[in-house]
Amino acid sequence: MTTVAIPTTVSAPERAGWFTQTGQVLRRWLIVTIRQVWGPVMSLVQPIIWILLFGQVFRSLGDLPQFAAAAGTGGYIEYLVPGILMMTVLYSGAWAGTGYIDDINSGVMDQYLSSAIRRSAIITGQLTQQLIVNVVQSLVVLGIGWLGGARYAGGIGGLLVALAVATLLATIFCCASTAIALISRNQIALISLSQLIVLPATFLSTTMMPSALLPDWVAAVARWNPMTWAVELGRGGLSGEYPDAAWLQVAGLVALAALAFTWAVRSIRAYQRSI
Amino acid sequence: MPESTTPAIVAENLVKVYRGRGRKPGVRALDGLSLTVPEGRVFGLLGPNGAGKSTTTKILTTLSRPTSGTARVAGHDVAREADAVRSAIGYVSQGASTDPLLTALENLEIAGRMRGASPSDARARAKRLLDDFGLADAAARPVSTFSGGMRRRLDVAAALMHRPRVLFLDEPTTGLDPEARAAMWAEIRRLAAHDSLTVVLTTHYMEEADRLADELLIVNRGRAVVQGSPGDLKAALHGDSVRVSLIEPDPVAVRAAVARVGLRDVVVEASGVDGVLVARTDDASSAVGAVIAALDAAGIRFGQVAASHPSLDDVYLHFVGHTFDPSTSSGTGGSPVFTEGEAA
Repeated sequence: MTTVAIPTTVSAPERAGWFTQTGQVLRRWLIVTIRQVWGPVMSLVQPIIWILLFGQVFRSLGDLPQFAAAAGTGGYIEYLVPGILMMTVLYSGAWAGTGYIDDINSGVMDQYLSSAIRRSAIITGQLTQQLIVNVVQSLVVLGIGWLGGARYAGGIGGLLVALAVATLLATIFCCASTAIALISRNQIALISLSQLIVLPATFLSTTMMPSALLPDWVAAVARWNPMTWAVELGRGGLSGEYPDAAWLQVAGLVALAALAFTWAVRSIRAYQRSI
Repeated sequence: MPESTTPAIVAENLVKVYRGRGRKPGVRALDGLSLTVPEGRVFGLLGPNGAGKSTTTKILTTLSRPTSGTARVAGHDVAREADAVRSAIGYVSQGASTDPLLTALENLEIAGRMRGASPSDARARAKRLLDDFGLADAAARPVSTFSGGMRRRLDVAAALMHRPRVLFLDEPTTGLDPEARAAMWAEIRRLAAHDSLTVVLTTHYMEEADRLADELLIVNRGRAVVQGSPGDLKAALHGDSVRVSLIEPDPVAVRAAVARVGLRDVVVEASGVDGVLVARTDDASSAVGAVIAALDAAGIRFGQVAASHPSLDDVYLHFVGHTFDPSTSSGTGGSPVFTEGEAA
């Protein structure tokens, strides 16, 4: 066949900028959130139960001298609230990838991928919605903690630090959930895998128990568990007394967030290559 | 191949091999398919399920990459200039392209703005398209409340938000009831009236291809079989076709019975208790009587006997070598459908 010159007299439509694309993806997911607000509301039931149950059942822990020596004299509920804050982030973030699987199954993903929309804008737009929901949930958890008797000596600045750390942890988990969703393309696989990770991640950390009271091997694992870093930074913000390794922990969380985001963007490209 | 118009799409030697996942074996979905789509027309890709129509569409819309071969759409290479192709095309896949929780207007606005329209332009164009597609009254309703036909029309509207030069419609009426199908056909004909828009339509409905396509490519087993306008393709089959429905046929006996009647391209197919004999003849009036006499003489039971001018069914039979199986017709529109292999 001979080559045929195709005139391009009709100019191609303008391409939207990255921020516009991200903003429109965000707009879609925010409308979805508002029309299905029971989702984020239901995921708040769990932390409320945790705070009430754990707070009551383990209350006498706070009176033990060993506990006070390791974790301060604020009582168990004050120790627990930052842990529950980060647990909420984990449980909520585990669902982050489900929207992508819905989009793959319905066909909306094909629309994105056959449009001149940057892959990072698709990921960032939905991530931003998840982070906004996450901040609202975090504020509710902190409010419930306050009602349960916890007091935040760190003040407004400390609260903002705790929220920022929760957002960082949410970025890691939402992006990882997104990547796994795009690789597995299966809701059940995604949820089972998330649950499999979430529980050990919580218990092999200082979410519920100070390091000094943990068995040695658990304490060793907890030290390198990003959940511990997030919980201790959050606890530092709320109490105003930061851990010694605070900056290292921040650096670790930022690095993981960057890696997870890259993984998510690469997964969407890998998904397209598999079509 | 028409020389009068500049092609909107030129694809050469497209091959697509899907690697097997786990125990699933690999599939060679496209096996060296080439095609040229003239600009400003409705181009039909006709073939059974699994023939490679959707795979071709996915490659031409940059959704999927060919294993080998090249394609240029609206003047741009699908592999090297994917974003330029994406800006120039609209794609209505077999799936949905809208979010069911958003209203029709919200979906269209977002689709437009993502593709570069300003807020005011996106809103104006969305309203205009909703009007054009008869969805103005439903503009503020969530798409989840829409009927299948409304949803499909909204999908087409969404694909037109950024004023594409080439519109891909992948099986646009599959799953629609006859009324919605007729409405969709009217929309496609209306779009076809715009000279600047090229429409690429895949279908496994003969009637749809016959009515809508200016130019048609029959695809089978990942290869192009024959291309031309429906009228030219039918005219190329000289003479008339004869169809006899058979009851509990023995194909060998049937062939032997009609061997001396003067038929060409005799095909006898049997499925369960039903069967069909299809053949071509230069003189239908004498052939029908001769066929009846020959079958009677051989003691073969048969039902209806009909002679007609060639249809697209006959074109397909002539070039592919077998008929389609009417037992898998969708049951809604009554149009015959092919069966072969897995769903596309």
